[in-house]
Amino acid sequence: MKKRTVAVLLALAMILTCMLSACGGDSNSSTPTQQGGNSTASTAGESKPADESKPAEENNTPSDGPMTDVGTPRNETLIVECQSSTDAPGQFNTFMQGTTTGFGVHQLIKASLWEMDTTKGEQFPDIADGFPESNADFTEHTVKIKQGIKWSDGEPLTAHDVAYTMNEMKDNPGISTSGFYQQTFKSIEAVDDYTVKIVTNNPFPRLALRFGVTIYGNDLRIVPKHIYEQQEDVSTFKDSEPVTCTPYVVNSYDELGNWVLYERREDWEDTDVGQVLGEMPQAKYVLFRYLGDANTKQMMMINNEVDIMCEVTPEMFDTMHSANDKVAAWYSEWPYATSDDPCSKGIGFSMGKGAPYDNKDFRWGIALALDFDQISLNIFDGVGRASPFTILTGTSAMHPFYYDELAEWATNELKLDLGDGTTDYCPFDPGYAERMAETMRQRGIDIPDDPAYLKDVFGVGWWKHDPEAATKLFQKAGLEKKDDGWYFNGQPFTMDISYLGDGSEAQQARGAEAAYNQLMQFGFNCTLTSKASSTWSTDNETGNYEIASIWPTGGITEDIFSQFSGWDNRLLVPMGERGSGQGTRWDNDEASKLLQEIEQLSPDDPECKKKNMEFIKLATEEMIFISFHSGVKLCPTNNTYWTNYPTADNAYNGPWWWWSCFKYMTPYITPAA
Amino acid sequence: MKFRQFFISRVLAWAITIWIGVTFIFFIPRMFPSDPVENMIGQITARSGTMAPEEKEALRVQLRQQFGLEGSLLSQYGKFLWEGLLQFKFGPSLMSFPTPVNEIIGRNLPYTMGLSLITTFIGWIIGNGIGLLAGFRKNARSSKILEGIAICIYPIPYFLVALIFQIIFAFVLGWFPIQTTILTGAGFGPWFSSVIQGSILPFFSLLLVGMGWQIISMKSLASTTAEEDYVLFARYRGLSEKTIGLSYVFRNSILTQITALAMSLGGAFSGSIMTEIIFGYPGVGTLIQSAIMQSDYNTILGCITISIVAVSTATLIVDIIYPFIDPRIRYA
Amino acid sequence: MKKFWKVANFRLKAGLIITAFFFIVGFIVYLFPHVDPFLYNSYPPKLGVSAEHWLGTTSMGQDILWQLIDAIHNSLTIGLIVATLGTVVGVFVGLLAGFAGGALDRVLTVVTDTFVVIPSLPILILMTSLMKGSSTVFLMALVLALFAWAWPSRQIRSMALTIKERDFIHTARFSGEGTFQIVATEILPYALTWSLSNFMNATLSAISSESSLAVLGLSPANLLSLGNMIQWARNRNAILAQQWLWIGSPIVATVILFIGLFLLITGYNDYLSMKRGR
Repeated sequence: MKKRTVAVLLALAMILTCMLSACGGDSNSSTPTQQGGNSTASTAGESKPADESKPAEENNTPSDGPMTDVGTPRNETLIVECQSSTDAPGQFNTFMQGTTTGFGVHQLIKASLWEMDTTKGEQFPDIADGFPESNADFTEHTVKIKQGIKWSDGEPLTAHDVAYTMNEMKDNPGISTSGFYQQTFKSIEAVDDYTVKIVTNNPFPRLALRFGVTIYGNDLRIVPKHIYEQQEDVSTFKDSEPVTCTPYVVNSYDELGNWVLYERREDWEDTDVGQVLGEMPQAKYVLFRYLGDANTKQMMMINNEVDIMCEVTPEMFDTMHSANDKVAAWYSEWPYATSDDPCSKGIGFSMGKGAPYDNKDFRWGIALALDFDQISLNIFDGVGRASPFTILTGTSAMHPFYYDELAEWATNELKLDLGDGTTDYCPFDPGYAERMAETMRQRGIDIPDDPAYLKDVFGVGWWKHDPEAATKLFQKAGLEKKDDGWYFNGQPFTMDISYLGDGSEAQQARGAEAAYNQLMQFGFNCTLTSKASSTWSTDNETGNYEIASIWPTGGITEDIFSQFSGWDNRLLVPMGERGSGQGTRWDNDEASKLLQEIEQLSPDDPECKKKNMEFIKLATEEMIFISFHSGVKLCPTNNTYWTNYPTADNAYNGPWWWWSCFKYMTPYITPAA
Repeated sequence: MKFRQFFISRVLAWAITIWIGVTFIFFIPRMFPSDPVENMIGQITARSGTMAPEEKEALRVQLRQQFGLEGSLLSQYGKFLWEGLLQFKFGPSLMSFPTPVNEIIGRNLPYTMGLSLITTFIGWIIGNGIGLLAGFRKNARSSKILEGIAICIYPIPYFLVALIFQIIFAFVLGWFPIQTTILTGAGFGPWFSSVIQGSILPFFSLLLVGMGWQIISMKSLASTTAEEDYVLFARYRGLSEKTIGLSYVFRNSILTQITALAMSLGGAFSGSIMTEIIFGYPGVGTLIQSAIMQSDYNTILGCITISIVAVSTATLIVDIIYPFIDPRIRYA
Repeated sequence: MKKFWKVANFRLKAGLIITAFFFIVGFIVYLFPHVDPFLYNSYPPKLGVSAEHWLGTTSMGQDILWQLIDAIHNSLTIGLIVATLGTVVGVFVGLLAGFAGGALDRVLTVVTDTFVVIPSLPILILMTSLMKGSSTVFLMALVLALFAWAWPSRQIRSMALTIKERDFIHTARFSGEGTFQIVATEILPYALTWSLSNFMNATLSAISSESSLAVLGLSPANLLSLGNMIQWARNRNAILAQQWLWIGSPIVATVILFIGLFLLITGYNDYLSMKRGR
């Protein structure tokens, strides 16, 4: 008997050990990759390119201050959030699809021909030396390249690298741009070491705007010819130890795709940022890191484990700011968030569905039925600059370019016909800023009286909340109001409002929820649908929605053609098909004619701006998209280890850490004393 | 002879189970208006504002070809059965094109396997131990309390236990990290300690629920066995309680519990998905979630195929070896 | 009734009381007129406990107590629909397989076993994420029911196999009753007693699955369920902002509801076996 007991116990013990060792085995079995990752960091000294001086040994030297998780001194490391982890760790070649560009790759180690000054709304030359010079009909362009930029292995960057890059992007079918480049370019060649000659198939007046950065980044990122031309196929070359022309190189990365550590080049002066700014990036190390879910992020920020965060909701910011006063954002006081993101959010209509969605009176009715004050309070507690002029976002740069004039026009000239004999109804409400300021003061927030401040924070105004006028417009559009709700063509009328419900875009989701609440209160019978990202894009392309919280908007440079060219009605496809234009299916000959004329004009031509203005006025009269606020972004920074981040008082750049312009902020973000 | 028959029919059923399950998941996504190409274009557009029309069209054509989404549904299905099911080649991940799905799953699978297998086995052992005690001494106060606790924990879904643990131990008490961070870049030592540190909360939340069921079922088995005639007879013979407990009650109840072990593997897998997602643990669960969010067909198919194969194989193995363990069962 | 209460064991009683409480809240208290707790700004946001708002209000100015009551109503409704569908289909398929035998039995058994074995959660995640846009309460219930029928069907089949051989069936057969009649009059009552416990189990697991999916953000956006309530509170940062009433009340309610249902199930099973033992 006893023996049996022992046997049973032994068996159990064995199972347990087996399991434990199996688990150990699991981790061992993953060692090929695992150790790869380990070696990248621990033996980085041997495996790294020669020019990266003083590598990991220095990491290991004991330091007085705290260290990061990756073994660098905390006070020499700038820690930046990356919003998602990557499934392709160690892949830094942006020609290869699946490379997570936003993981510091385009922010730190890739450079474009032209970069964006986000506060001025202008481009400036990055790798290029000046802007392209074109012939009279815009088919031949000459681009000069800066002299004095060196790759991190010591080779100079020349026009041959640029021509090689563009030709690969054109001729290699494995690179996603090749189709478009084939259509656009006839030839690209290096005339001499610092001159590239580009011939386009058609007149192309917007070369820098299209092949340089405007928003986020641009696919045209120059690669070192002497490395890439040795590869069999550059579209499958991982480039795990990238040679760069920027002030940073990759030090090590995580095998699970959660972080990448970048290190400053000793010869940072011979790089694009060094040449343009002449100032040294302050952080020796920059760690891009995926932080996990919303709660973890906040804890890490409170505990000073991260310096720069991409985007949070006001609730999250309140929590972090009240727990740690070193946590700041764009404004040092309320509203904290910047309203300069060029994607305004709002609700769009699937006009391809026919009546009443294709009727501008119906769309205007919806706009006037919404109480914008309430919507603002529901989305981000009143934070956000109104962006009333449909698809053109009200960023600060857009105000002198277009918004000031448009507001004037909307106040004095824009008139609606309500269908009951009133033909001069003015829908614009310039009093939004004043009212909102008062509401906020009642909530105990100190709002100055300065009109310029109010315009900056709350915008030029929005559309009136006028249920009476809205009712008339709906009746004009053929809807009937009965005791039990609205009817259209004798049928009870219902609308579906959908939004992208994957949690990635709080502003648009809350906008849809708020609009739903408002329209229900107005008396419509609505449904609210949250769509998964897997069906969202397809439904929006095919027109499979009624009202959706989309963002077909833009507004960063004075020239708006590149962003709005999709509204040309020649690009329209039937419902259910995917076209290359907008999924809203606004079919307007006048607007399309304007766009076609703008396309032929140089962006510097004064006629071009006039036509742009005309286009926006037309789009507003038609109310093709009800835009709520410009993109509101709360991008928290932590001033414990680093300081002098761009802010409203120190606006040397926008808080766009996930854009490629981040490298131009690195010289100014300085260690805290 | 009889064994062979049993074996063959059992393996056949196993194969059919996998085939039905896999067919199911192959066709479901294709019944919905979800398109990875549109999705990818949508993501690029969302990131950089708007995309020029001609650029969009060109990109669309190109991605369609690269993703291999051309060809009839039937030929895609055939290709999937042949390459995916029989050779475990699921092609490139669509969202991280052209990284192979196998590579991505290979990175995550060990963590899930480690977590769910360890919790299942430890939960099974501890749970059965407690259940045995509780069932054998069914009127003792401690047994009742233990069973009461088990009954209160078992019905709570995995994610809720994980959430409650996260709130109490990570937020309020601050004893553990809220999310799992695994350090791969700093050598074995830091890696190992980060795995342990990050796994404690997921481990205990999975263990608790898994253990609950074992306690409850073992307790009821043991208490029924304890009243069988042969146990009473053993008591009359004056055998010690310990001997009776181990060699009569335990041995007879544990057999049934082995089947329960196989069944709980499936449950542990589902539980581990939720727990991983709550804690951000780098396993197959978080992978499935992100793949579904990005409609990365190939990765979804890969993950679910592997899970179906793993769970049904575990059941198959237990079914086949069970008659060897339990002498009462003969191949009928 | 009195006798039943006397005979019933502690678990059955406790389970019955808890479950009855939730059903009263979910189907009777629910009927009291109240402001739609889904609508924003009905009240000032972030209020604490008061006489008007027993559990305070959310950051969007919704009453938490009424939200909870509506959530209990909707979650129970989903659970009941799924359990009904699952049990009806399960009993039908199980009896069919058990009594028909032969090839039909084999096919049905394989299909049933497949649905028992394959891990349901990944497939549920897949389906709900794809149909999210068009998803309604009923559609959600249908999808959940897809995995709710297999287990009862398997159990009923094996029960049918044993009953088939019992004496009273033979007697009935000899007295000239047809198979259908036998199933309807002799076996169904048996199956139903057993199904009751399974029914409750299915209710529990359906609510559990729905809330799991909700926490992943996959439940319909306008469905006020317990899981969605947890998820919305999480989305609005209720945990770190320490709005414990908001995040805590649906969690506690879910836990108590599940414990109640589970006590009811085990208590009922014990009660049945005790009754049989007599």
